[in-house]
Amino acid sequence: MTATEPPETAVAEPEPRRRLHPLSPLLHGAKSIAVIVAALSWQTLSQVGLERFAIVVAVIAVGVVLFSIVGWLSTGYQVVGRELRISDGVVWRRNRAIPLERLQAVELRRPLLAQLTGLAELRLEVIGGGKTEAPLAYLTVREAAALRERLLRLAGRTRAMEAQPTDQPDAEAPAAPALERPLMRVKNRELVVSQLLTPQAFFLPVGVAFVVLQFVLEGSWTFIGIASTVTAMAGVLLQPVRRVLQDWDFRLARDPEGRLSVRYGLLETRNQVVPLNRVQAIGATWPLLWRGQGWLHLRLDIAGYAGEPGSGDSKRSDRLLPVGEFATARALVWEVLPGVDLAGLATSPPPARARWLNPFSLRSIGVGLTPEVFVSRWGLLTREMHIVPYARLQSVRVVQGPLQRLTGLATVYADTARGRAGQAKDRDLAEAYALAAELAVRARHAREQRTD
Amino acid sequence: MTVDALTPWPDTVDWRPVSPKLITVELIVRWAWTLIVVAGLCVGLVLQGHWLWQLGIALVVLNAIWRSFVTVRAVRAWGYAERDNDLLVRHGLLVRRLSIVPYARMQFVDVTAGPLERAFGLATVQLHTAAAASDARIPGLAPAEAARLRDRLTALGEDRAEGL
Repeated sequence: MTATEPPETAVAEPEPRRRLHPLSPLLHGAKSIAVIVAALSWQTLSQVGLERFAIVVAVIAVGVVLFSIVGWLSTGYQVVGRELRISDGVVWRRNRAIPLERLQAVELRRPLLAQLTGLAELRLEVIGGGKTEAPLAYLTVREAAALRERLLRLAGRTRAMEAQPTDQPDAEAPAAPALERPLMRVKNRELVVSQLLTPQAFFLPVGVAFVVLQFVLEGSWTFIGIASTVTAMAGVLLQPVRRVLQDWDFRLARDPEGRLSVRYGLLETRNQVVPLNRVQAIGATWPLLWRGQGWLHLRLDIAGYAGEPGSGDSKRSDRLLPVGEFATARALVWEVLPGVDLAGLATSPPPARARWLNPFSLRSIGVGLTPEVFVSRWGLLTREMHIVPYARLQSVRVVQGPLQRLTGLATVYADTARGRAGQAKDRDLAEAYALAAELAVRARHAREQRTD
Repeated sequence: MTVDALTPWPDTVDWRPVSPKLITVELIVRWAWTLIVVAGLCVGLVLQGHWLWQLGIALVVLNAIWRSFVTVRAVRAWGYAERDNDLLVRHGLLVRRLSIVPYARMQFVDVTAGPLERAFGLATVQLHTAAAASDARIPGLAPAEAARLRDRLTALGEDRAEGL
């Protein structure tokens, strides 16, 4: 079958399988040990005493590190043609080929330990993965940046360009972050204030008062007791703190290829690179408590974005603007979806009889069609807006429930590959069908233009 | 202009019904379940003899009869249409749904047929896109029609394929 191989691989020598950085097993081990210690909990510590606890942890640590080393030995990656191949697994061997034209976004993530050792984790987002596929942990920062640049370049290349293999992989090795054009930067003061203006932050004093009261009444100030209570509370109430840490020093830039580059994080820094044609939709939210400042936040929907495993707030991992003023948001939306002006998105409300179904929020519902995007907005207290470019529409649905049938209304959904569907709630039935037909036509035209 | 929620654009779109044999299949499934439940209730009646068991049997049977009428109408409410660029599917009585799925957005096509469906010469075609919400499932197709639809969908999908 060698005759049918693409010319690139036939000419160039198949590149060798590469290993991850030799320090990776240690870092992986450290991560698992933290998890194990957390699982053993404070109570175990108080029961078995510090010495035994330390011994148990040490034994587990050695085991974990040994296991990680075996895992490291069996892990490798290589780029073949337009595919990234990753093999890993100790007991169950796995060989995975990722077609790069399906690549949606690449993230370079550096947890605290990795920052100390100068390493980074490379995460690829592809469609159809329940979780982030193929995290390459860990590579040196330089290696990771070069690999990312190379993967994105291969991913963005069209078939016509593929015919002429011009770029040597070696020539791309130094990444070019210096040429990035900065777009905006969120002030850390604004970030902190914005997270203080969340319901959780308002409940924090109540929680602290409760704990203090409990100890005053019981009169037992043991270290273990305090520690376990604080740990239990931290999970829920410290979410604003976590967000501040996550979104610290949030910066956006356009790289020389026109892709969007997002950097943020304090303890764990992340750097996402998203090609603009992978943006499925943009969501804007105006929380009630931020209205005094006139702030909003913007969300970026990217297909295949998996978010944090198990943390529940999976939507948090793809933000465009954690907090900002309207003018900033307007400029950003223009940057991501050229030709879309956040201030000029007129929406029309549903007919007055929709009041029966939305007694309070009728005035906050609306949809609008602009030449580029489908806009829908809703929400009385927390106002939200959802912007879907026609070219990203996957399908259009019209749904009419029993109550809507009584009032002659219907809802139109505009489905995208990721995130919430844009929805035109409670429109007049005839209008709903007209809207659906219009959306289908516009989506087709937008697609045809893009494939030219 | 009055618009019927069951048949949008009746003038321009050529709606096709699904096979009426689907009614038979659905009725068989419904009555099979009803029989099992009734049999269970009969055992209870024989063992205990309380009048509540009789009431239960009556309710189950009445429900099944009512749902059978609904099934007949629901199957007739299913419809699909192939346009030049997209597939239209409509269904549902209580909640009426219409899906418009462009061929270019197709990721893969499923053709499935359960044992009962096979016995009656039926198959189900389902079109999947990258959006989980897209809902383009057509039950009750003759196998030949299902195969034709599948081939047509894949052919059209290939023409206009793109990586999202």
